[in-house]
Amino acid sequence: MATYDFLFDKTGLRGWCGEESSGLSSMADLLGNSGGGDDTTSLWDTPFPSLDALHDACDKIPQSRDLTLGLERGFLDIKDGLKVIVDPITQPLSWALENALWLMQAMPWFIMIPALMLISWLVGRSLKLVGLVAVVFGLLAFVDYYDYTMQTLAIIFVCAFICVLLGVPIGIAMSRSDRVQRAVIPILDMLQTLPPFVYLIPLIFLFSVTEPKLYGIAIILYAIVPVVRLTDLGIRLVDPDVIEAADAFGMTERQKLYRVQVPLALPNIMAGVNQTIMMSLAMVVIASLVSAPGLGVLVLRGIRNLELGVGLLSGLGIVFLAVILDRVTKAALARINAQQPQ
Amino acid sequence: MTDTTPKISIRGLYKIFGNDPETALQRVKDGIGKAELLSETNHVLGLNDINVDMPTGKTTVIMGLSGSGKSTLIRHLNRLIEPTAGEILVDGDNILDYSARQLRDLRQHRMSMVFQKFALLPHRTVLENTGLAPSISGQRPKAYAAEATKWLDRVGLEGQGNQYPAQLSGGMQQRVGIARALTSNSDIMLMDEAFSALDPLIRTDMQNLLIELQNELQKTVVFITHDLDEALKLADHLVILKDGFIVQQGEPQQILLHPNDPYIEDFVADINRARVLRVRSVMEKTTAPAEGVSGEVDHDDTLENVIEASGGDTNKHYKVTRDGEQVGVLHMRDLVRALVPRGPSAETASH
Repeated sequence: MATYDFLFDKTGLRGWCGEESSGLSSMADLLGNSGGGDDTTSLWDTPFPSLDALHDACDKIPQSRDLTLGLERGFLDIKDGLKVIVDPITQPLSWALENALWLMQAMPWFIMIPALMLISWLVGRSLKLVGLVAVVFGLLAFVDYYDYTMQTLAIIFVCAFICVLLGVPIGIAMSRSDRVQRAVIPILDMLQTLPPFVYLIPLIFLFSVTEPKLYGIAIILYAIVPVVRLTDLGIRLVDPDVIEAADAFGMTERQKLYRVQVPLALPNIMAGVNQTIMMSLAMVVIASLVSAPGLGVLVLRGIRNLELGVGLLSGLGIVFLAVILDRVTKAALARINAQQPQ
Repeated sequence: MTDTTPKISIRGLYKIFGNDPETALQRVKDGIGKAELLSETNHVLGLNDINVDMPTGKTTVIMGLSGSGKSTLIRHLNRLIEPTAGEILVDGDNILDYSARQLRDLRQHRMSMVFQKFALLPHRTVLENTGLAPSISGQRPKAYAAEATKWLDRVGLEGQGNQYPAQLSGGMQQRVGIARALTSNSDIMLMDEAFSALDPLIRTDMQNLLIELQNELQKTVVFITHDLDEALKLADHLVILKDGFIVQQGEPQQILLHPNDPYIEDFVADINRARVLRVRSVMEKTTAPAEGVSGEVDHDDTLENVIEASGGDTNKHYKVTRDGEQVGVLHMRDLVRALVPRGPSAETASH
């Protein structure tokens, strides 16, 4: 005797449910008769009219297990069609990742580390920063994590670059139209709050685990949000008086964008780039679950085999990497701010 | 007061802010007031039947308190704000018919603007800011540097071209704003409360600079201000706005001597009339040689100067000359009478 039997008995839907339910209820009656148990459940224990509870009363109502199964089947059904479109579009991402990984590893360490130091000098113009970069990479190479570090770095470079490439134009489009902004913000909110592991599941169905774009897409989806948001914000925050002056002197929309709005929004855009890089670093560790190479693999090994030392050391390596990436991008940001005294 | 055709003519201009300005416009034309319009239809009456002719090569000052619609009005002249109804003729063309391209051309080459908050581009040097107009029409810095430097020097900013705006004081930034407007080589200069953000001494300096430039260049200047002293100092043609309509317009001296509205009488009551009024406004116009004159004064002298010259004696008479020729006679009695606002209307003004 299910709790919600009355619902179907009263509304005359019992027939639609089929006879099995009556058979079941008679079975319950039988049990009740023979066992002498209390078949009237107390009001306190009334279950929520969920799919499973309703299924007990009427077989035609699906169980919630059927719903998740249905979702999965639905996804599998459109998978092939989706793949035809998504596969070619994302193929360049695989190539970019493969080539970056190859390049960063093929380069001998005595060229690579000075090259990274040079980049940090060009971006930050601070000797202290260059020293920090040398120490961090020296340390990681010293404990034989050099290859893993380079793999992680290669993935971050490629993914952050693509995030900026896609994110800045999206942010600009959002800043120019309230309607676009209203449409995009819920998507950004969802990308930001959806647990990162959840991205991985449909991606595994779509692509083979051997393809680098699998984790590339996961990282980009997760890390693109801040650069989009801050580009939008930065352009919207540009002093309206200056925009009015640009209009009053007859600038075209394009001139206004490239000569006024983007340069004045640059500090905010760079803050977004900084956040994007930090988030791709966070995601690259999780993405090691789906075969992303790098320090994340070591972390995973530490967890799987309970190798405490490996886990700690690689975790610390990721922290160091995060520190230098953050410092270098912040130094770039500070230089842009210094050029634009407000 | 001038026989040349006006550079800018505004005809029957209305601006109503709100969701349905057309319906509101009909009610305004039927005579509804600003306050009732706001409470009944939730529309704001910005400008109400504005008609102004702005003479070529002269300074037209539009004066009003905040909320009077003066900033709205000046933004109609280059269509930063679109009117609800009316015509704006510049050199005889109705600019409301202009396409986007024509409008850009108007803003780039025929009109320039100076802003209250300077509105310089913070990421560009002073020189690049000054050359904004030529750079918008596609010139490289090398091409416009000479012209921009010339105007920077003219406004007193020699050698500051490589600074950034934030490194300059407010007064200097506004000089850059003026140099930027001059570099565009436009005939018309719109100045939106250009000196209101500056402190009083610097403001006086800038007013003198503008008068100097104006004597030299004879641009058609449209100047917005809330300061009557500033308005009287700069104006060739004065327009007084209140709640979106024109209370009185004309030659400033005439407005001062013959205010046609209690609102304006209140306004001019606090003015130092001796410093603002000129001999030509209170003299008796005659070319007949006067008898018993104590000396000569120029028609453009302020009354203050004449009082000082006369030593306060009200029995004296002066010959008034323009370019050496007699244009009238000034009786000191008339002068003293002009220093006090008109009797009966002054009473109505003070209730």
